[in-house]
Amino acid sequence: MENSTDDYRIQSFDLDTQMLLKTALKDPSSVNLEKVSNIIMDQSLKDQVFSKEAGRICYTIVQAEAKQSNGIVFRRNLLNRLQQEFNDREETRQRSLQEWVCYVTFICNIFDYLKVNNMPMVALVHPVFDCLMRLAQPDALMNEEEVDCLVLQLHRIGEQLEKVNGQRMDELFFLLRDGFLLQEGLTSMARLLLLEILEFRAGGWLLSSTAHKYYYSEIAD
Amino acid sequence: MNVQCYQLQYYGPSRWSHCRKRGIDGSLRTKRDPDGGERENDGNSDNRHTSFTTPESAGPVSRWGRQADWGSQVEDDEMRRDVHRDMQRYRRRILGGEVTQRERKTSSGSSGSCDSREGENMEKDEAVLLRRQKQINYGKNTLAYDRYIKEVPKHMRQPGVHPKTPNKFRKYSRRSWDQQIKLWKVKLHAWDPPTEGSQDKVLDNIDELGLDDVMDIELDFPILSDSQNVPASLTTHSLSLEGEDCLGTPVKVQKTETTAEPDMA
Repeated sequence: MENSTDDYRIQSFDLDTQMLLKTALKDPSSVNLEKVSNIIMDQSLKDQVFSKEAGRICYTIVQAEAKQSNGIVFRRNLLNRLQQEFNDREETRQRSLQEWVCYVTFICNIFDYLKVNNMPMVALVHPVFDCLMRLAQPDALMNEEEVDCLVLQLHRIGEQLEKVNGQRMDELFFLLRDGFLLQEGLTSMARLLLLEILEFRAGGWLLSSTAHKYYYSEIAD
Repeated sequence: MNVQCYQLQYYGPSRWSHCRKRGIDGSLRTKRDPDGGERENDGNSDNRHTSFTTPESAGPVSRWGRQADWGSQVEDDEMRRDVHRDMQRYRRRILGGEVTQRERKTSSGSSGSCDSREGENMEKDEAVLLRRQKQINYGKNTLAYDRYIKEVPKHMRQPGVHPKTPNKFRKYSRRSWDQQIKLWKVKLHAWDPPTEGSQDKVLDNIDELGLDDVMDIELDFPILSDSQNVPASLTTHSLSLEGEDCLGTPVKVQKTETTAEPDMA
């Protein structure tokens, strides 16, 4: 039992909430799923570690609810909450870079995990691209945490995104090339991250072994 | 172009060229489009307002029921996929020669090559199928339906007695289809969970409906011994029969007219 809850990274919640989440996973119709989706959403905006894998617990609850009662309450609430936050994202970014970055991480994670008939949710494609395009804007590229977030998402879901909308991916990468080449004031880390992602995509969402050695060998040692 | 319209919604009229210019000369590009142009400092509601509505052209949007919220979009999308998958299965079944006697009788025209005709003559309009599927879903999303399918396995269903989900792939007029749905749902009510209080209350409600189909169901009751799957809520007799051998009546005693039609129920 402990192992499975570790996977969901719910240790950061208080014990009562952990209990609620565990119940939601096993017996979704016995809990207030709207409340559960809000709890997960709120935590994702605060906790970067959680937001990186929150999609997994969401997926499990969605499946459990569908199986138990053919219900879609959790998913619907989650998506609408996600949409609300999306509409307010510019304000969020102004208020807190951290929260903005967490949001992007979360929505991309949801995109990754919550599939419909094994296909990505179409409704999320443009919003996800919008978020990534925002991260590729000149002002965002100046912040390492935003660049870091951007490349992380592209590593995780870039290939899938490209499949569903290659044109927008092309446009995103126009921005990234421009940023890398022309943006003054970028930190060397930011430039390194950008170069790596450019190579990564150029290699068909794979890094060649030599490139991998270049970018990651120091970490390995 | 479609995507350009959408771009206006999130961060002003920024195309990649806009950024390039900004990089080269270091100055902010002036807003060309007063409607879409939003700088982060504005923080007014326009940006939010335009981004709240789903861009009609930039992505697949449900044709019927313009839902802007993501929850509904995903549900519609899921339904669309399910309908298409159903259509594949149905086509395969029809064209694969699993057409029964009943199907042959009902398909118009000559004997023989009805099979392919059935496949071609099916309802394929997505909007119609989606609408019908939605109506079916309303009916299936009930306690009554849940109880019904648990009580009466498909092979034990008697046509006329037991409700059968209308076949969305058949060509019907709108009126005919809507009427079928209505009758189907009325029949399903027979499996409504018993309310607190007496069974008599349920019987009263049934009487109030005053519909022929419901009366037909009641008439079947005298033959309780071989239709053990008649819903308990429709009669007070069932209580007294509990424990009697009718509950143990072997299935093979029942004379069910088994049909192998593509039963969508």
